[in-house]
Amino acid sequence: MGSAAASEPLLLLRGVGKVYEGEQPVVGLADVDLDIFPGDFLAVMGPSGSGKSTLMNILGCLDVPTSGTYEIKGVPVTTLSPEALAALRNREIGFIFQVFHLLPRYTALRNVELPLLYAGVGREERARRALEALQAVGIEDRKNHLSNQLSGGQKQKVAIARALVNRPSLLLADEPTGNLDSKSGEELLAILTQLNAEGATIVLVTHDLAIARNARRIVHIIDGRLVTSEEYRERRG
Amino acid sequence: MNPMEFFTVAFDALRTNRLRSALTMLGVIIGVAAVILLVSLGQGTKNYVEEQFAGLGANILIVTPGKIETRGGPPVIGATRHKLTLDDARILEKKGYLFGGVAPVVFGTAEVRSGARSRNVSTLGVTPEFSPVRNIHVEVGNFVTDSDVDAKRRVCILGRTVKRELFGNANALGQVVKISGARFRVMGIMERKGVSLGFDIDDIVFIPVRTAMDIFDTDALFEILISVRNKNDIDSGKELARSLLFKNHNRHEDFTITNQAAMLSSLYTILDTLTYVLGGIAAISLLVGGIGIMNIMLVTVKERTNEIGIRKAVGARNRDILLQFLLEATTLSAAGGLCGVLTGMLGAGAIRLLVPKIPMEVPPWAVVLAFTFSVFVGIFFGVYPARKAAALHPIEALRYE
Repeated sequence: MGSAAASEPLLLLRGVGKVYEGEQPVVGLADVDLDIFPGDFLAVMGPSGSGKSTLMNILGCLDVPTSGTYEIKGVPVTTLSPEALAALRNREIGFIFQVFHLLPRYTALRNVELPLLYAGVGREERARRALEALQAVGIEDRKNHLSNQLSGGQKQKVAIARALVNRPSLLLADEPTGNLDSKSGEELLAILTQLNAEGATIVLVTHDLAIARNARRIVHIIDGRLVTSEEYRERRG
Repeated sequence: MNPMEFFTVAFDALRTNRLRSALTMLGVIIGVAAVILLVSLGQGTKNYVEEQFAGLGANILIVTPGKIETRGGPPVIGATRHKLTLDDARILEKKGYLFGGVAPVVFGTAEVRSGARSRNVSTLGVTPEFSPVRNIHVEVGNFVTDSDVDAKRRVCILGRTVKRELFGNANALGQVVKISGARFRVMGIMERKGVSLGFDIDDIVFIPVRTAMDIFDTDALFEILISVRNKNDIDSGKELARSLLFKNHNRHEDFTITNQAAMLSSLYTILDTLTYVLGGIAAISLLVGGIGIMNIMLVTVKERTNEIGIRKAVGARNRDILLQFLLEATTLSAAGGLCGVLTGMLGAGAIRLLVPKIPMEVPPWAVVLAFTFSVFVGIFFGVYPARKAAALHPIEALRYE
């Protein structure tokens, strides 16, 4: 951890808050300060409704904070247009969702190609890089299977390949093992650990301490605020 | 993302819902086919009428005796003050430098008899000029000659129908028939011209004009046909004929000159309007097809909300989503348009084959217009659902199941 702190942070959050407007405004996130460095493997832990999904959406540029500043590689995200956010997601972020979110009628290969399609990569180059990504997670033998013909574990591997394919700065995994049996879950965590060892920056969102322990560091979130592990145990316990 | 990629994505999406895509396209197919069929019917009707009048020629002036104030239409009986005579025809021929031919015509109905068979037939007294001016010719034998006219010879040329009725398949040339009791030698048979506006052109007998004047005991002409050499001179030709006859009639304008083209143009305007109205009515069904596309695209966007969320999460811009759904709608309508064009053209062909009496003529402009219109219908009705898809928030879309 000490070595990571020496470099510039990849993601920088200062006083980030998110309020959902409505008849009764809901505070999703309040005053979050967080630095994430290249090569980090960070777990965000919190119970459901704690704001960890909100944090992930903001980290992944799917949503913008209502207060505070958020920078990726020094670029302030808060002021970007939806089009620029889309480009940023495409280049810098790879998502891994609990429910996989693959296109059901597309083959594994075409699912993995999707980010490259929107990056404007040509057909052959796309197929080549998508195959590489499938090989990296060891599922290249399923490349021509439709995604709805795959098992949960296979689907999540394809999802990881899709997240990796555009060589993003950050992998965001939201409860990636939530819909998997324990064997597939372990396999998946092994892949993430391996990827991190190879230099990938990963943020893992989970409510499960056993899974969070795979990360190099853990932050806790309750009621939209980051809290210390002692406070977390106290409030949860 | 290049345009071909969008096409691939759109095609894939339409393929997964084959039945739905086909049904949606059906609306456009019916619309486009209806446009083409109805416009073809209108155009066919116009062409039919045009064909019927084509024998008369666009460069023909018709001089009839009597003056009427309203334009067009035939002169009213009793309005005649002075007759048209062969002298008028001679003047027109001599001084009408713009005219290709001048054909005086005497008209009457006479009983034509051959042996035991007889028939009441329209009988035209004509000069040799009549054949080129009116553009009808003998098939066998000869037409009336100048010497026939001058010598008042009793010779006749039979129309096809008359020949068939009187002689059947037997040879008529050189035979003798009786016209109003007088003996005439048959010296020619006309070529077949068919029925024009209910009038059988083949049910006519031609005889020399002076002979006709004797038979019908008159020196008045029924009409004088003038062909103007150059189509563009039709108006100046009309003016020339007017001034020549005016002088010859002691400065009385007691005759009427009508121009076939001018009379027909108002009829064509009506037929054109009919074509547009029919096309317009059919276009409404195309519009309904467009609403069908919009409806199905709205359903599609709703169903594929999750897909839209995924695409956005991996970096699709609003513009990419908009284009994708717009292209789907347009592909539906364009494919429907193409099938509609085929259906319409096949339908028109089938109708022409099965019911030859119904005039069908597929004008190329209608095909292009119907297809283009169908594409625009897809774009027009696809914009709203596509914008809806593009405006979806990625998080909401991802959460949607």
